[in-house]
Amino acid sequence: MKYVWMILLCFSLFPGCGEDGSAIKVDLTKKELVILKEEPDVITYAYLPQYSHTVSHTRHHSLIQYLRKETGLNIKQIFPDTFDEHMKMVGRKKIDISFSNPFIYVKIAKRYGANAFARIVEVNGKESFRGQIISRMDNASIQTLSDCRNKSWIAVDSTSAGGYLYPLGHFFDHGITKKDFQEIAFAPGPGGKQEKVVLSVYAGKYDIGTIREGTLDVVADKINVKNIKIISMTDPYPGWVYAARKNLDKKIVEKIQQALEKLDFNHKQHREILEAANFIKVITSSDSDFDEVRKLADKVGMNLEE
Amino acid sequence: MKLGFRNKIYLGFFSLLLIQGLVIFFWASQVMKISLLEEIKNRGISIGINLSARMVEPMLAMDFLRMKVLVDETVELGDDIFYTFVLDRDDTPLIHTFKEGFPIALKTANHVLDNQKVSVQLIDTGDQLIYDYAVPVFINDSRLGTLRLGLFQTRAEQAVNKILISVIITIILAIFVAGIVGTLLLNPVTKSIKKLYDSSEQALRGNLDVRTAPMLKKNCWNLMQCHQKNCPAYKNYHHRCWYMAGTLCPTCVEGEYAKKIDSCRQCQVYKRFSGDEIQSLAESFDAMILSLKGNLSDLKAAESILNEQKTLLQIILDAIPDFISLQDHEGRYISVNRAFYKMLNKNKEEIIGKVNYDLFSRVQAELYNKEDKTVLETRIPLVKENRVAGQKGIKWLHVVKIPVLETEDRVRGLVCSGRDITELKIVQEQLTQAQKMESVGRLAAGVAHEINTPLGIILGYAQLLLEDVEKDGQIYKDVAIIAKQTKLCSKIVADLLNFSRSTQRNITQFNINDAIKEVLSMIEHTFSLNHVIVKHEYDKNPLLMRGDKEKLKQVFINLLNNAFDAIEENGSIIVNTGTGDTQDEIKISISDTGCGISKDNIRNIFEPFYTTKGPDQGTGLGLSVTFGIIKEHNGTIKAYSPPLSGNKKNGGTQFIVELPSSLNTKKGERNG
Repeated sequence: MKYVWMILLCFSLFPGCGEDGSAIKVDLTKKELVILKEEPDVITYAYLPQYSHTVSHTRHHSLIQYLRKETGLNIKQIFPDTFDEHMKMVGRKKIDISFSNPFIYVKIAKRYGANAFARIVEVNGKESFRGQIISRMDNASIQTLSDCRNKSWIAVDSTSAGGYLYPLGHFFDHGITKKDFQEIAFAPGPGGKQEKVVLSVYAGKYDIGTIREGTLDVVADKINVKNIKIISMTDPYPGWVYAARKNLDKKIVEKIQQALEKLDFNHKQHREILEAANFIKVITSSDSDFDEVRKLADKVGMNLEE
Repeated sequence: MKLGFRNKIYLGFFSLLLIQGLVIFFWASQVMKISLLEEIKNRGISIGINLSARMVEPMLAMDFLRMKVLVDETVELGDDIFYTFVLDRDDTPLIHTFKEGFPIALKTANHVLDNQKVSVQLIDTGDQLIYDYAVPVFINDSRLGTLRLGLFQTRAEQAVNKILISVIITIILAIFVAGIVGTLLLNPVTKSIKKLYDSSEQALRGNLDVRTAPMLKKNCWNLMQCHQKNCPAYKNYHHRCWYMAGTLCPTCVEGEYAKKIDSCRQCQVYKRFSGDEIQSLAESFDAMILSLKGNLSDLKAAESILNEQKTLLQIILDAIPDFISLQDHEGRYISVNRAFYKMLNKNKEEIIGKVNYDLFSRVQAELYNKEDKTVLETRIPLVKENRVAGQKGIKWLHVVKIPVLETEDRVRGLVCSGRDITELKIVQEQLTQAQKMESVGRLAAGVAHEINTPLGIILGYAQLLLEDVEKDGQIYKDVAIIAKQTKLCSKIVADLLNFSRSTQRNITQFNINDAIKEVLSMIEHTFSLNHVIVKHEYDKNPLLMRGDKEKLKQVFINLLNNAFDAIEENGSIIVNTGTGDTQDEIKISISDTGCGISKDNIRNIFEPFYTTKGPDQGTGLGLSVTFGIIKEHNGTIKAYSPPLSGNKKNGGTQFIVELPSSLNTKKGERNG
């Protein structure tokens, strides 16, 4: 028995091996209410959340820094979650400078009096962009546009240009209306909607999807895009547009417009900014440039007031 | 209290399990605790980093609802998460999980640099210890703010303790289950060992009718379809056939277990019915006990015979009047007989194991040791006669010492035998005396024979002279004296001749009463003159015997004359005849009322020339002649003074003569 006691004694000599480290004393009794203070003279800049906020931030963060430096204005990027929220924030003056697709622009122009002052030139050098109708590569039942009948369709958003409006017009031009689809769904949740469409088709949840041109490059790091095939491309329409909210100081608008138009793809620092923002140039624009879009919306029976 | 085998096994078993459990608990649990705390820490880091990543979008969108939902969801992940909050780039709290305001001091409690992944700081709130995790919230290279997460260290430890308790419970359950399983496994073993122990105990107590192995259920006669009822294994439910000798199976080898087991191992009965080691042990133990029982029975019989022989030998040794002893080579007494220890006046136990110095005087012991040593060394037996003076007088001992050889080279001990030859020595002396007397007798007879003639001449001439001289004269008186003395000399010479010369025997069968009557008729008148009365009581039946009647009459005359001489005047002589103790003997008693014989004299009365009478009254040859005649007739004569019968105070002497009757003589002749 004495051996057992010796063993127990040995064990009892083991100290606690925990590592407590040195604790600092913190008094939790002194409390305060959190009050966020609004910064004065902030010019808010918002990128229509067709992608995630992270992508939006990544693309436009350098541009914002450039504009702040170039214009001397306290420009800050904000991130509305949805297209609808983006539009409403323009209406509530929470967004001073809106960078959106043409379809959203014509809506905020009509609803809230926003005014276009610049538009971008796409990476492909075109001032316009197209929508794409995609399906899984292994989906043999969909080869042509007409095969999209009675299929389930996921679009980016009801307010998306390349991801809904342009393809809808494209279908319309080919005699396919909303009723011809088994289902029309929109990408859920805030932000990242373009990616969600691709991922939904990739997962096989929907037969076809509609996205704007260039989206597949964005998701190339998430999926093997070779498994996605493009069924059809829409006609090109005017590209993304910079618009100022109603009653924004024109001097501010001009400063920003000048700074934007000053961006030169051949300038090394500008090139980095432009490559991050995924366009090569910003050119002057006016509201009339988007009448074509207004016509398309009208053609497919969309009410810009809604 | 001593522990039994089962308890020792259990104790050892449980001790091992307990030690194992303690090792697991104290060592493994520490490792587990460290790992768990590390895991918990890592969990905090993981939650922080994860939440930090998820917080980017809502922070960009300044979506407080989503931020609130995220921090609240995080706190709800587990009880160990105390708080979560988000600071912006200026360390201003954006959102937090504290319900009643944000603790100001918490903001600066932990800092994480841009190049750090996470910073962990232990915070003591007074009530609790908290691991505070600070994780920077980055979007690309731009830091949006800091996420802070607080985990209760106490609750983490509680969680660890819960796991440790679970470990303890698991260990206890494992010990318990192992104990039950162990008990189930050990029970048959310990039971069998206990039964073996009990059986062994019983066997040691002498009870060999023990059965350790359980009753056999599978039996050889069933398997072999055997019906040999004479086989010792047939219908034997207690012993396996391979343990038994004399089994009748055709495949069996004759003989005991040692001879047959190799063959039995090839037999299908062995292959199919032999059990495990414990069962085999129990069965072999039973077989061993059975064999032991048989051997013991033989041994007991042998022991009984041996004891009987030993007792007989001891009886013989003790019955031998000679003393016998056995000593080992060191002179220590191993065995002695009764005569030996009686001689030493000791018990047997007082002698066994002792040496000469313990039993004899120093001088004697030294002498005996020297003798013993000589015999043991020379291996030559020693024969000697010892004269021993003791309390009971002088004794003569004839001693023989013989070496006992174990092997040719080795002497085991010494046997000493001694005999009391005192009586023999006395007889030898008597014989010597008798031989001397015989020589004297022969010499006297020769002399008597030689002087008998001159005496006759002297007497003749003396009688002639008496006739020639006047009877009143002095010469006549002198010659008469010469004649008288010459007659006396003739009588002496005649007695000497009778004593020393064997006269011719005339053996006839006669009635002893008649012989006595004839003698009495001759002497009664003479006796009566001196007022000596002879009383006689004859046996009613004739007492026939074979012998020399005249010689026996001489015996009675001598005895009656002696009685008469002892009485001198006024007395009586009683003569009785009858049978002795048996019908084969004739007993004649002659007693008188005379002066009697002293104790010293009575020993010598039968010796020649021994007399208490005056010089002119006896020659000392009468009773010697009488003794010789009685011996010649195979009888005995004994003298008692005072007489055995009658009034002893009156003195007197009684002679009892016992003679064989004719019946005995006839038998003796017939036998002879």
